Amino acid sequence: MNDKPRVPGVLFILTLVFIVLTVSFSRRKWMEPEPLKAIALVDPDLVQPTTMRTSYVQLVRMQADLSDFDCYACHEKNKPPTLRFDASNNLVIPKEHLDIVMAHGQHNRNNNCFNCHDEQNLVLLQTRDGRQVKFEDSPRLCGSCHGPTYRDWEGGAHGRTGGYWKKEAGETKRQICVDCHNPHSPKIPPRTPLPPPHPLRQADQARMFQEFRQPEGVAQTSSLPYRGFPIRRCDQAVTTGRLEVGDAAGWKPALRSLGSPLAAAAAER
Amino acid sequence: MIPQKPHPNWKAGQNAGMTRRSFLRGSAVFASGLAALAASLSPLRELDDFPSVEQFAQKYYKELTPAEMAKVLKRIEDEVERQYGLRPHVKDLKPADGVEFVYALNLTRCVGCRKCVHACVAENNQSRTPEIQYIRVLRLPHGSLDLEKAEHDYHPESVPEKGYFYMPVQCQQCKNPPCVKVCPVHATWQETDGITVIDYDWCIGCRYCEAACPYWARRFNFAKPSVPKDRLNLNMAYLGNRPRPRGVMEKCHFCLQRTRAGRYPACVEVCPVGARKFGNILDPNSEVAYILRTKRVFIQLKEELGTSPRFFYYFDV
Repeated sequence: MNDKPRVPGVLFILTLVFIVLTVSFSRRKWMEPEPLKAIALVDPDLVQPTTMRTSYVQLVRMQADLSDFDCYACHEKNKPPTLRFDASNNLVIPKEHLDIVMAHGQHNRNNNCFNCHDEQNLVLLQTRDGRQVKFEDSPRLCGSCHGPTYRDWEGGAHGRTGGYWKKEAGETKRQICVDCHNPHSPKIPPRTPLPPPHPLRQADQARMFQEFRQPEGVAQTSSLPYRGFPIRRCDQAVTTGRLEVGDAAGWKPALRSLGSPLAAAAAER
Repeated sequence: MIPQKPHPNWKAGQNAGMTRRSFLRGSAVFASGLAALAASLSPLRELDDFPSVEQFAQKYYKELTPAEMAKVLKRIEDEVERQYGLRPHVKDLKPADGVEFVYALNLTRCVGCRKCVHACVAENNQSRTPEIQYIRVLRLPHGSLDLEKAEHDYHPESVPEKGYFYMPVQCQQCKNPPCVKVCPVHATWQETDGITVIDYDWCIGCRYCEAACPYWARRFNFAKPSVPKDRLNLNMAYLGNRPRPRGVMEKCHFCLQRTRAGRYPACVEVCPVGARKFGNILDPNSEVAYILRTKRVFIQLKEELGTSPRFFYYFDV
């Protein structure tokens, strides 16, 4: 027994160490990485391929209620409507048509309804060289002034195309001018962008959330809490998406509005 | 102690050998050591994305017969049904003859709304947490294409912002792809219609392709991708948008579940201003053929690297 007096002690300490290790590895909480914070989902309505506006032609195709577009419900046949201009030669929009904002052309160049509408027959359009154009053929009217854009549209470079690129496989859906451009104010309106990308590392995400500030001069629309992320809808409402803990059914963002009526309507839907 | 006769095997001068006490001590250490080893390996119990035997023994994609491919597709459909509770339709779409896809993007039109990014995410079953997005929209100041000045984190009240233009970047489906060259297992290759595809069951996750790509087009699944059940796109393709496992690469594949069936990719359809154009360059009547014929200034990103991308950015009037 005297030649190896330390062996039983060493073995005993080793056993204790192994038992401690077993216990600590079994209680794994300290080893597990932090669970990832769920990233807010984007509303599927915002990624639908619908056009920016619903044109008269689309309404006809949808067989929607066109009673608003019956010109001779109010106007008299064979009596061209008269236009009124104010002191600085700007067109005065009559009160029945106040939903129209005339902004076609810079410096008020296109300041006359009958540049495009036919005053003798209000259900038709007219070009500057006297041709009459049906509403369904309105691209020809637009192209009579915007030639290069019309040529590009015919070739496919301008405007939206959807559906099938392979003609044999299905229908190619081309949009006409007024499906995107309001003919009275054709400039494409600005929109709110969808959320920027989230960095992969949680530490970077945290820093990004805290630094989520608008550039100089732009109003800060939300004070951003750490765990929220503003989901911006393209109709300018700002909502903050907060996340319930993910369950087997998937992530369900609960939208709460910050007071905008549009957001409240969206949250109700 | 009563002196006893020594054991016949005992030799003079030797130690006592193994006694019960030493055996018990040794076995106590051994057993606790084994327990510690087992406990340290216990995270392996939580491995749930272990490949099945069929998946592990699957042959290389290009060697699969149609019958074997049908079995593979069924296996994937079963797996997706088990995980999400919904049964998808997984197809293996082959490239058509006489088709080479080209993408044209009009930088005058892009407003930076990022609808393409999220339409792509929805169409291709990309992970929401952690986030994977094949398309990255860069905001650049007017006047140069200096990518050092690019900002991908822009979040203004409204776009487009004055003084900037927007350039979305995704896989450029290069004619001379560096990612294909570096893959050690040939899990990624370019098909005859121009799409560089990845076989998610063959990829080993080494990420060489991610390092080789100059456009950061390739994304890696660091964690098991999480797609909400109600957002799952059930129209899937084997090389396309079927749900990926953890540890494999993925990237834009021109929505091949759509384009090889003759439809436009999701990003083209959703772009609200019509900045994105897609089609078969071998067809002289296609939109992209018209654009490449008539437009004057084209940009291929980082063309000095010789990747020869199939993605043409152009400006318009």
